[in-house]
Amino acid sequence: MKNLFYKEFKLSVHPTCYLFLLLATMLLIPNYPYYVVFFYQTLGIFFIFLNGNTTNDITFTTLLPIRKRDAVKARFYTVIIFELLQIIVTIPFAILRNVLNPAENLAGMEANIALFGLVFMMFGIFNIVFLPMFYKTAYKTGIPYLISCAAMILFVIIAEVAINLLPTLKVTLDTTNTVYFPQQMIVFLIGIILSVLLTAFAYAMSVRQFEKLDL
Amino acid sequence: MEVLSVKNINKGYEKFQLRNVSFCVEGGCIMGFIGRNGAGKTTTMKSMLNLVHPDSGAIQFFGMDLQAHEFEIKQRISFIFGAAQYYSQSKLKTIADVYRRFYKTWDEALYQTYLSRFELDSEKKIKQLSQGMSIKFALSLALSHHAELLILDEPTSGLDPVSRDELLTIFEDIVDHEGASIFFSTHITSDLDKNADDITYIKNGEIFASEKRESFVDSYRIVEGSATLLPQLLKKKIIGFHERKGEFSGLLRKEDANDTQNLKISTADLESIMVCIERKETDEEPVL
Repeated sequence: MKNLFYKEFKLSVHPTCYLFLLLATMLLIPNYPYYVVFFYQTLGIFFIFLNGNTTNDITFTTLLPIRKRDAVKARFYTVIIFELLQIIVTIPFAILRNVLNPAENLAGMEANIALFGLVFMMFGIFNIVFLPMFYKTAYKTGIPYLISCAAMILFVIIAEVAINLLPTLKVTLDTTNTVYFPQQMIVFLIGIILSVLLTAFAYAMSVRQFEKLDL
Repeated sequence: MEVLSVKNINKGYEKFQLRNVSFCVEGGCIMGFIGRNGAGKTTTMKSMLNLVHPDSGAIQFFGMDLQAHEFEIKQRISFIFGAAQYYSQSKLKTIADVYRRFYKTWDEALYQTYLSRFELDSEKKIKQLSQGMSIKFALSLALSHHAELLILDEPTSGLDPVSRDELLTIFEDIVDHEGASIFFSTHITSDLDKNADDITYIKNGEIFASEKRESFVDSYRIVEGSATLLPQLLKKKIIGFHERKGEFSGLLRKEDANDTQNLKISTADLESIMVCIERKETDEEPVL
């Protein structure tokens, strides 16, 4: 697995994945839907797959002494790493944003720990929709990405609407007031758990799809 | 000892089917896998490597079942499918740096030998290689970890005659000095005339023959002569009968070639055998 991982970063990862990490600075924008920063990273991940078609990544990978499921596992690790990196890199800017400008974000969720919980869920949704759909053909990337974007947007709309319509959620989650940290922490933990579950399920589905595929 | 055993592989597609494909490769042998385009060579080879899933059948390497020991088996074999058509923007050295990590038996000195033998510059990018050079690069990778069995799909197509000859000499060295076996597909049958011990011939998804090359070639004769001197009974036995301007040519099984007065009988080679066997019925009657 270590070798496949090396291969991923040496040959497969698209440079935009690193570039999009810089978009963490967008959390310094006073009024902005902060989910967008994380959306961009899914675009970077999409580019890894799209570029893989151009470079015949799967052709090379199948020449290696590995099982097909190992290739899926290595790619999942790569995806997860960039999702986690995006979150980790963004956290300091979220803190900085609130220090520099404590005013309310008028364009969506505050940059708090609950936001990161929701982002974890969003990444989980991306993983469960995009990855198994890609591994069904190991070629088609456009439609799976469009559908995964639609699913993520739907999730964000539902989350935002729920938070804005339900006063309890609005008061406890859409705030930087540290009094509500425990409630926000619960959302964060639920986000992680959901993301792990969805990604594990996505992995099982992707392996099954890819194993079935004739290359 | 059998290094590869393929038994009763079946794989159905909408318009093509592999049917009961069986053969085995012995240790220290070169086996040529021949058949015309679309006969099922690549599908068979991909099935052997778990890249295509056969509907039924069994594949064993070194006495081990492929499904149960895929990881271990793939460490001991090497395979390429044509030229290195991947990561066109990457340098050869970058790709080799990734590839070599996967093999415990990687021999860097041997790899460097192949690079200089094939005149490959590891600073070049894949996109800068010609078709022939890119095959040579793919081969350099495949040949550098002391694989016990090399499975090569069309390794000689796209190479110039000198390079082909050089490659075939390398095959001989690998088999003679390392005791490895080579299974390679080709439609350039003259490559096999040079050094294949065995041949497996696939036709329309079925194994037509799998035996020693010499005995296979020796079981046929080329027959030529004037069509007027050809007895009707013998004509029916001719495989791939072709007539033009009163002269005919075709193939006979060795046992049918005894009673052929006034006709020219000569030994066959793989190409003429394959051409005659594959020659369509329409050749017997002029189309125009």
